[in-house]
Amino acid sequence: MRTSARPTSRLRGTMRGSPLFRLRLGFMVIALVLSVFGARLVQLQGVDPKAYAEMAAATGTVEVSLPAKRGDILDRNGEPFARSVEGLMVVADPLLTADQAPEIAKFLANRLAVDYFAILPRLREEGSRFEYLARRVPSTLATKVVAEAEERGFEGLDTRRDPVRDYPADDVGANLVGFVGTDEALAGFERTFDAQLAGTDGSARYQVGGGNRIPLGESTIVASRDGEDLRTTLDLDLQWYTQRVLRQTVEDAGAESGFAVVLDTKTGEILSLADHPTFDASNPLVAEKEDLGSRALNDVYEPGSVEKVLTAAGLLDAGKVTPRTRIVVKPELRRDGRTIGDWFDHGVLHLTMAGVIAKSSNIGTVRAADEFGRGQLRRYLTRFGLGEATDIGVRGESAGILPPQSLWSRLVGDRVAFGQSLSVNAVQLAAAINAVANGGVRVDPSLISGSATTDDGTVVGTDETTTRRVVSRKAAYQTAMMMERVTDPDEGTAPAAAVPGYRVAGKTGTAQRVGAECGCYDGTFTVSFAGFAPADDPRFTIYVVVQDPTNGGGGGSVAGPAFAKIMGYALRRYAVPPTGTKPSQLPLEW
Amino acid sequence: MSIPAAQLRTRVPRIAEAAVERARLRVVPRRRTKAARVPFVALVSLLLLGGVIGLLLFNTSMQQAAFATTALEQQAGTLAARQQTLEMELDVLRNPQRVAERAQAMGMVPSGTPAYLLLANGKVLGEPTPATPENNLRLHARPPVKPAVLDPDPIVNQVVAEGPTAAALTGRGNEGRPVIRDAGRDTATRDD
Repeated sequence: MRTSARPTSRLRGTMRGSPLFRLRLGFMVIALVLSVFGARLVQLQGVDPKAYAEMAAATGTVEVSLPAKRGDILDRNGEPFARSVEGLMVVADPLLTADQAPEIAKFLANRLAVDYFAILPRLREEGSRFEYLARRVPSTLATKVVAEAEERGFEGLDTRRDPVRDYPADDVGANLVGFVGTDEALAGFERTFDAQLAGTDGSARYQVGGGNRIPLGESTIVASRDGEDLRTTLDLDLQWYTQRVLRQTVEDAGAESGFAVVLDTKTGEILSLADHPTFDASNPLVAEKEDLGSRALNDVYEPGSVEKVLTAAGLLDAGKVTPRTRIVVKPELRRDGRTIGDWFDHGVLHLTMAGVIAKSSNIGTVRAADEFGRGQLRRYLTRFGLGEATDIGVRGESAGILPPQSLWSRLVGDRVAFGQSLSVNAVQLAAAINAVANGGVRVDPSLISGSATTDDGTVVGTDETTTRRVVSRKAAYQTAMMMERVTDPDEGTAPAAAVPGYRVAGKTGTAQRVGAECGCYDGTFTVSFAGFAPADDPRFTIYVVVQDPTNGGGGGSVAGPAFAKIMGYALRRYAVPPTGTKPSQLPLEW
Repeated sequence: MSIPAAQLRTRVPRIAEAAVERARLRVVPRRRTKAARVPFVALVSLLLLGGVIGLLLFNTSMQQAAFATTALEQQAGTLAARQQTLEMELDVLRNPQRVAERAQAMGMVPSGTPAYLLLANGKVLGEPTPATPENNLRLHARPPVKPAVLDPDPIVNQVVAEGPTAAALTGRGNEGRPVIRDAGRDTATRDD
C-alpha cells in the first residue's frame, strides 16, 4: 500500500484517495445504515410490536366465528315448542346483479318467499355491493337455490349464515314460549332464559392456502358452547287442546279474553297454561301487543265464588264447621249498613255447609265465616298462597292483592269470604285449589322441568318446588266431598262440568269485575270454574276463567263445559280410570 | 521399559539366538486398511434421500388429509342442515293442529269417555259414551264480524217452481241457497 501511495503523495493535502479516509468514510456509511436499521428495529419491536405481529399473521390467516346453537324449548315429552335450524340469508352484489335484475328477481320470487317488487330495486341498487334478499332461509333450500341460480348464469348471489328460529307449533304455548327478534330474544321464556338458551359463540383462526386449511399452519380454536335446551312441564298436545277449547269457549260466549290452567295434582306441574287471545309465535308482529304476554299470570281479577272453597276448607280445618253444619240463609243479609245478597232470589233457606257451597250462597258463606277468629281467614288464605307471586318463570307476573290486616274491616272480611275485595292471578288460585285436591298440602306450581335461572337471577323449576300443609287431610277431603255436590245434575250449580263416569269436584265463580277506566265494578263479570277429578283421588286440577262474557252465562254454563272437555281429554290422555266409588251424598238442606 | 530389557539382554547369555530373536516382542507397523468409501456415502445419501422423500410424502398425505377434512366437514355441515330441515318438516307434519284438521277432514271425531276394564277382577269402570260430531272441536278461530255495510242480509226471492221442494233439498248441503244467520245468541242464566 505504501509503495503504491508514494507516487501520489502530491495529492496528500486533499486527503482524497487516502485509504484511511476511505476506510473511515466506509465505516461511517455502514454505521449510518445500521443506525437506520436499529431505529426501525426499535420502531417495530419497541413501539407497537403486537400490531405488526398481527398484521404479519393476518396474511393468509382466516378467522371465523363458530356460532353456538341456540337451545330448544321442549315440552315434557321432548316435543319442540321452539327449535333452532341452520339457516342462511341470500344476499346480492348489485354491481353484478343489476344487468339481470328482473330475471333474478323472478327466479327468486318463485323459489323463496320473497316479493318480486321488493327485491327488484335492491338488485339494482347503485353504489352498493351488499343487499339482503331473503333472511332466515333453511340452509338446504338457500344452497340449492343459489346453486341453481349459478347454473342459469345469474351472477352475484351469495349466502351468509343466518340461523332460523322455528316455532313448529305456531300459536301453541306461544304466550309462554315467547319469540326472538333478528338479534335478540324479545319475549317469554326466550327472553327470560336467554342466558341458558343462547350459549357462547366460539372462534377459529387458521391459515389457508387455496381454500384449504394448511395442515401444519397456525391454528387456534376456541370451541363454542351450545345453548342448553329448556324443558318445560307443558304437554304440547294437551296445551293445543286446551287452547282450542278455550278459544271456542271465549268466542261462543262473546267474551273479551280467557285463560285455563291444568295442574298435575301431586307434583304441581303445569301441564297446560292457555291464553286467549293469543298470537302466532312464527309471526308475532301482526298480533296486538297486549296479547303477547300471559294473561293467566299478568292479569289479576277478583276470583268470586271459587274462593269459597278456601274459606270452607279453612273453616273445616279450624273445626268451626262440618259439612253438615246447619245454616239459616235469609233472603238478604244486612251488615254495617250494606246488604249482601245471593245470585238467586230465595226465601229463608235451610242449607247445610255443603249446601252453601253447592248452591254458592254468599249469605251462607258469610254466616259461616263469622266463626273465624280475628285474622284467621287471612292466615289461611296466605298459607294457600294468595297475595304472593308464584315465581314460575313467567315475565311480568302480578302477585294479586290480599288486603293487609290493617285494612281488614268486617266488611272486607265478609266480602273476602266469598271472593270479592281480593285479587289473584289464575295460577295462584289454581295452586290454592290444588292444595285442597292434594290432601291439604300446597305444592308450588312449576312450569320448568328441572331447574333454570331467570334473567333476574331467580332459580325456578320442579327441583325448587316446596310443599306446605295448609289444612288437614280430613278438612281437604270434606271440602272435596262438598265440592262434588256442585256438579250434581239436580242440586248443583254446574251440572255441565261433570265428566261422564268420573267423580268430579269443582266450584263455579261469577265475580263482578273491576273496569280499567273507572276503577270500580263496571257491570262486567269474570266467570270461572275450578275443579279436580277423580274427586276421591285427584289426578288433575283445572281452572278455567272467562272474562266478560256477553251471552249472559255464568261460571257453570260458560266455564263448566270447557272444564269438562279439558278434564275429559286429560283423563283419557293419561289413561286415568274412574275410581268406581259412590259419589258424595252429603245433604244440602235440612 | 526398554532399559530393563536392554540390561536383561546384556545379561542373558546368547543361547539359541535365533529362537530368542524370533520370540522377541517388537513393535509392528500399524496396518493401515482403507475402509471402502462408497457404501458409506451411499448409505448416508440413501438416508438423506429417504428422509426428504418421506417428509415430502408425509407432507403430501397431510395435505391430502386436509383436503379430505375440508370436504368431509362441508359434507357433514350439509347433512346436518338437511337433517334439521327434515326435522322441521316433520314437526310441521306432527303439529296437533294439522293432525286434527286432517282427522276432521276424514270425518273423524274426538272420542267420548272410554270404559276401563280392570284385569285384576274383571270389573268394568266408567260409562263409555259414543263419539259424536257434537264433540267436534272448532279448529279455526271465527272470522271477525263484518260491519253491517259489508255484510248485508241476503235477498231472498220466493219462487214457486216445478221440481223438488225446499224440504226435499234439505240435507243436500247449502249450495245455492241463502244462509240464514241466527241473530239471537242463546242466553243462559247466571249461576251465582
